[in-house]
Amino acid sequence: MIKKIRVRGYRIHRDLTIYPNRKLNLIVGANESGKSTLMEAIVLALTGRINGRSATEELNPHWFNAGVVADFITKRARGEPQRLPEIDIEVFLEDVPELQELCGAHNSDTPTNACPGVRIRCIPNPDYSAELQAWAKAPSPLLPVEYYCVEWTTFADARLTMRPRVLATAVIDARTVRSTSGVDYHLRQILGSQLEPQERANISRQYRESKAALSDSAFKSVNERIGKLHAELHEQPIALAMDQTARTSWEESVAPHVDGVPFTMAGQGQQSAIKIALAMNKHAGRAKFVMIEEPENHLSHTSLTRLLHRMEALASDDQQLFITTHSSSVLNRLGLEALQFLGPTAPVKLNELDPETVSYFKKLPGFDTLRIVLADRIVLVEGPSDEIAFERVFTDLYGKRPMACGIDVMSMRGLSLARGLELCGRLGKKVAALRDNDGIEPDELRKPLAQWLKPGSREVFIGEVAHGRTLEPQMIHHCGEAHLRTILGITDKADIETWMSREKTEAALRIASSPERFTPPAYMLHAAQFIHG
Amino acid sequence: MAKRVTLAVAGSRKTQGIVEHCAGLPRERRVLALTYTQRNQCELQERLARYAGDHLNVEVLGWFTFLLRHFAKPFLPFKFPGERVLGFNFEGMPFRMATGKARFVDKSGAVYRSELGRLAFELITASQGALTRRLEGIYDEILIDEVQDLSAYDWDIVDALLGSAVDLWMVGDIRQAVLSTNARSAKNKKYAYAEAINWFRSREKKGLLAIEESAVSWRCHPKIAAFSDTIFDPSWAFPSTVSKNDHTTGHDGVFLVRSEHVHAYVAQYGPQSLRHSVASAKNLALDFMNFKVSKGATFPRVLIAPTSTITNFVRGGVSMDAIAASSFYVAVTRAQQSVAIVLDDPGMSRLPYWKPAADLERD
Repeated sequence: MIKKIRVRGYRIHRDLTIYPNRKLNLIVGANESGKSTLMEAIVLALTGRINGRSATEELNPHWFNAGVVADFITKRARGEPQRLPEIDIEVFLEDVPELQELCGAHNSDTPTNACPGVRIRCIPNPDYSAELQAWAKAPSPLLPVEYYCVEWTTFADARLTMRPRVLATAVIDARTVRSTSGVDYHLRQILGSQLEPQERANISRQYRESKAALSDSAFKSVNERIGKLHAELHEQPIALAMDQTARTSWEESVAPHVDGVPFTMAGQGQQSAIKIALAMNKHAGRAKFVMIEEPENHLSHTSLTRLLHRMEALASDDQQLFITTHSSSVLNRLGLEALQFLGPTAPVKLNELDPETVSYFKKLPGFDTLRIVLADRIVLVEGPSDEIAFERVFTDLYGKRPMACGIDVMSMRGLSLARGLELCGRLGKKVAALRDNDGIEPDELRKPLAQWLKPGSREVFIGEVAHGRTLEPQMIHHCGEAHLRTILGITDKADIETWMSREKTEAALRIASSPERFTPPAYMLHAAQFIHG
Repeated sequence: MAKRVTLAVAGSRKTQGIVEHCAGLPRERRVLALTYTQRNQCELQERLARYAGDHLNVEVLGWFTFLLRHFAKPFLPFKFPGERVLGFNFEGMPFRMATGKARFVDKSGAVYRSELGRLAFELITASQGALTRRLEGIYDEILIDEVQDLSAYDWDIVDALLGSAVDLWMVGDIRQAVLSTNARSAKNKKYAYAEAINWFRSREKKGLLAIEESAVSWRCHPKIAAFSDTIFDPSWAFPSTVSKNDHTTGHDGVFLVRSEHVHAYVAQYGPQSLRHSVASAKNLALDFMNFKVSKGATFPRVLIAPTSTITNFVRGGVSMDAIAASSFYVAVTRAQQSVAIVLDDPGMSRLPYWKPAADLERD
């Protein structure tokens, strides 16, 4: 099990430390926050490979963190003896007997700490130090990677050339359409792990024998003919036979079939669902680490629900999952406590959430939790009419829509405000919650929410009982009935409160688009001022 | 099997015992077999391949490789943060007054052989248990062949292994302790060479290990075995050797040969000639092998050019110090059938003289 991951100087991650959960990790973040890069880094350290190719082959200048490189260039330009940019990815593993071969003190922990682990580094190759020094006199943002080397080692300072067996890793990437020609490297790895060594040997032997048999039977007459034909041109006879070299091994010509259809002919969504099922299936050689990129891709809502259900059933303590996702369904369904949020500053974990809150959101896979997670600041309101009205109030006040200020206004639609506030509290988000008083004193309503409130960062805004039970009477009170009738464009005959309560959303929309001046209810105004800061 | 040491006599098939032990183990048992000399390492590897080739979890390492791979390399940062072991310096030695990193590692980052034991030992404590836990995770059982050759800090390392959960079986012939892994170190000098027996006995008293004696020699003729038992002073309390060599050739046992008859003797029996070192027996023009080099070898017959200490012992039973006794013991026990010692003045020795047939007729 991975206890800690530290990524330094690799692409977007200048220095990132993550403490993964034992079973499940849902990696969430805005676009360009480095989710996939983190997955890539983990796979690099565990397997020494990237997309099935060795790190040495794939090393390129864009792997290096642009900030580190820029720093290096400016500091060298100033004549400071700045160290050449390096990449260092460390995976710290649990200190258990079966991983002790990887145990040692060669990691970045201070004070010195011994634990099992693997590390991959891209460092200047000492054989080229003269060339590097020459280049560093006038460095450019594109590092001369030819003078670098990739060092893949255990924490015991032993070089690795092959992935240690204890670090079996399955990679499933549902984002892109891969080669159509057949089974890609990652799938071959997953398939290979399904077989016992004896089974493998047996298949391999029979495959070779049947190829040999083909050479003796089908090719026989052909070979007799060309044997004679070429005898005059060439001293030795020429014959055709099936290629028995390693590059034509059985693994290359095997593909899983789904209901009689070759795997590669199956739909994209089905392909990734099968890969996930294969990787997580309980068998002896199954992967210890499973990396899944955006499992929601290419899947309909129902298929995704089915897949998530199966993943939940297969998840176990001896397999650690890393999943990137943009889907709230995935997040809610697999459990909010597994969230690893790659925020703009430091990564945030969410594993101290009340188990009841976790199961609350599990039952509500449709709720857009990710919006709360990803938002910079957030306003929680009760329904769509509150949402629309708040937008107008905020825009009137600041000349910009809330979204333009990084503020997400979210309608809870009857969901528990307390759960939403707890989530915001754990994530450390600034939040303004608005609610109707429903005829109850605001102070009474605040009491059950008190543990999630924090002045200045999480506050609840409620209108005074005297100004009306819900949003509509509050607006009538603050705006004045006559002016509001103008804004809404309703006749004197209609009872304004009845009309507004019946046509909530329509009323809100008319308010939002009206060119008339609008005086907002005081609590809404305060909420807007609070969240804008 | 827990922790035990088998003290064997020369020719008792120690290495074969290890090989057979490995062959009899369950396949999944993870075993590390450690030896000291390069020759023994190859021998062990070759025999394991033959008798236990299906046991893929048996690994053979030299003692130094063991200390580098499982002690120095993984845990060096505990003594010198951020540093790595970049090599092994077999010949060099640190300056006598060197301290800190320079004590253990040369300028190119290679660990001095002479300091490796100490470094390894200090890292056991410095790693706060991680080093021992690591070994326990990797191996179920460690076997040490030629345990008599360990010296100085090696004994402290063995002590640490005795305290670990790894099963430990050490095999050696204390009487053959002619090589030392660290000739210069003053550390544990009292256990060096044949005195290692006292080390084992003190550990046995503490209940840390069991001592087994293996006194059967398959190599040496009963007369040679009996003579080899006299080499060490009885105060060592070594058990008597039992010979299982019942082969007879008509010239079996220990003989004295006068220098004038050496060439006749060599011509008749073709023994392997042995000497202490290149400096000894300069008067004899024979194809000599040094005592130390002969270690581990078997010859049907040997001819020994004695040192003055050996001469005194043979002539008058003057007991030898541990080092001299060890090397003479090695020389004598190389032979299967006969040992000839070149000696002109027999003193009080009762060993028979060999004479050429012509001389015998004259008598």
